[in-house]
Amino acid sequence: MTTKFKGVMQSPVTPFKDDFSLDLPTFERLLDFHVRTGATAISWPHHKGESLNLTIAERKLFAEAAVRVVNGRIPVTIHVSALAVEDTMELARHAQDIGADGILAITPYFWTPSLEAIHAYFVRLCRSIELPVLSYNSPSYLAGVEITGDLISRLIEQLPNFVGVKEASFNSEKFLEISRAALAMRPDFAMLTGVEYLLPSVPLGGIGSYSAAGSICPNLCSQLFDACMRGDWPLARELQYKISWLWLLFRDQYPSSLKGGMVMMGRPVGPTRAPLPTATAERQAHVRSELERLGILETEPHGW
Amino acid sequence: MPFYQPGLLHAPVTPFTRERTIDFDHYAKLIEFHLANGADGLALPMHAGESVSLSDGERRTLVEFAIKQVNGRKPVVAHVSETGTAIAAALARHSEQHGATAIIATTPYYWTPPAAMVLEHFIQVGSAVTIPFFLYNAPDEMQGAKVNPELCLKLIAQLPNFAGVVDLSLDWQFMIELMTDAPRMRPGFQLLAGTELMVSASAIGATGMLAPLAGIAPRLVRELYDLCRDQKLFEARKVQEQIAALRQALKPGGVASLKAAMRVMSRDCGEPRPPVLALDAAAYQKLVGELEAIAALRAEARDW
Repeated sequence: MTTKFKGVMQSPVTPFKDDFSLDLPTFERLLDFHVRTGATAISWPHHKGESLNLTIAERKLFAEAAVRVVNGRIPVTIHVSALAVEDTMELARHAQDIGADGILAITPYFWTPSLEAIHAYFVRLCRSIELPVLSYNSPSYLAGVEITGDLISRLIEQLPNFVGVKEASFNSEKFLEISRAALAMRPDFAMLTGVEYLLPSVPLGGIGSYSAAGSICPNLCSQLFDACMRGDWPLARELQYKISWLWLLFRDQYPSSLKGGMVMMGRPVGPTRAPLPTATAERQAHVRSELERLGILETEPHGW
Repeated sequence: MPFYQPGLLHAPVTPFTRERTIDFDHYAKLIEFHLANGADGLALPMHAGESVSLSDGERRTLVEFAIKQVNGRKPVVAHVSETGTAIAAALARHSEQHGATAIIATTPYYWTPPAAMVLEHFIQVGSAVTIPFFLYNAPDEMQGAKVNPELCLKLIAQLPNFAGVVDLSLDWQFMIELMTDAPRMRPGFQLLAGTELMVSASAIGATGMLAPLAGIAPRLVRELYDLCRDQKLFEARKVQEQIAALRQALKPGGVASLKAAMRVMSRDCGEPRPPVLALDAAAYQKLVGELEAIAALRAEARDW
């Protein structure tokens, strides 16, 4: 048996109207765009989807839209991480009720919880639903809070629906610590990475990634994944360097510049909510010139 | 500057007598062991060789001794990191005069200078010699002092003998960004894995590896290096996982664990110098058990 959470999975941005309210028709178009251009799964709302700038009611509304629009064509997971753990629990139950295929949850924000507290959190979350649960490790954004190999082993042992991790340390040793613990116990455990860091993770047992730039360059995402799975390392290197350059371009105040870039690809999704800035016309022009230099404008789809 | 590709560099420990003086008899034996067990070259004294616990005079004597003992059979790379720029530059000059093939240096110890001064430090150390200079990026060992790709590109522009980076950040973002730009500015620029976690680094483009664990598990280290050199990265995963287990077992005690493990392998090199404490009996017994659990260690030599 292999996991259904693999390949380059797309996490759509959240489109807003000019008054910063949710733009449902554009969100529906974007979901459909990702499905048509090779996404292997949809996951929403990641930090890139401004999850923490949305109310819980807004998150539920768009989660329902995601499940409805994707309509079983590929798996849909819901990112349930919220400042308050009680909100996370509620979003998880909601995801199950609306027919999502799984949830994704980061280690709790703000409190720099101990390993025991992280353990208790994932046990409670996984036992509250029957859906598959993917965990999310992001030590550099969370003051060093991280999932260890021992913790992963304990969780796998106790929880049949604990099926994967988004390992976003982008660090060889941390990835290996988790992957060798997890894959020894559950060979179909989904070792996923953040952004599109497939080249360094696939040879270590990685089976896919989420995506930063997929709304700009879906073709590049698919090509990179295929090259890695084939073990065509020279080609994979070339593609990885290219897509990682885009990450450098978008990383600063993510996803503002990404949304700016989408304008240049003919897929405008509106502004970014405060406290994040919205990409200025100058920033958009800079992004466009980089996309041109990398050949993205000619090789990737324009418009919806 | 002659082109030098280091390949697999073994990083020996520094043996001490009971009185904590350098034990040159055992050092000669250890050097012979490394040369007979797969080293393409030696790098010394690295942090694993307790460089920071040696006096300036001892470091010079040690490097002279090692180069004489090796006697041209393989290259010797001298580690010249220091707090003061002039002290490091003097060590670098001394190493070149006595026949080192290349030098390697970190950011300065203790001080946290601004970026311009870090650049100045490396320029002065590197330009003290005409042999290749490798920058050692080890943020965890250096209390977070990070080298970024921008600094490396500036160094390429100003330092003709800047040959590459030995990376212990293990950071995929850093390595990919570096290798996207640096080899374009300086053909032949090299990335070396700074420890025995080479699979991801190799996928990204690393051509060499620095191996502090080579005194303990030279076969395993050589197997990993050869598989990576041949770009058999999927095949390298199992070996990589065994080495990651070894690294994890040794990590808590640092150099004390390294020396304890040398004793477990019947290649006793004494205890570390103060302020590093030797493992106590309980920690030693725990380590013995952990090493026994690593199947791949059974194929390693248990003598000199």
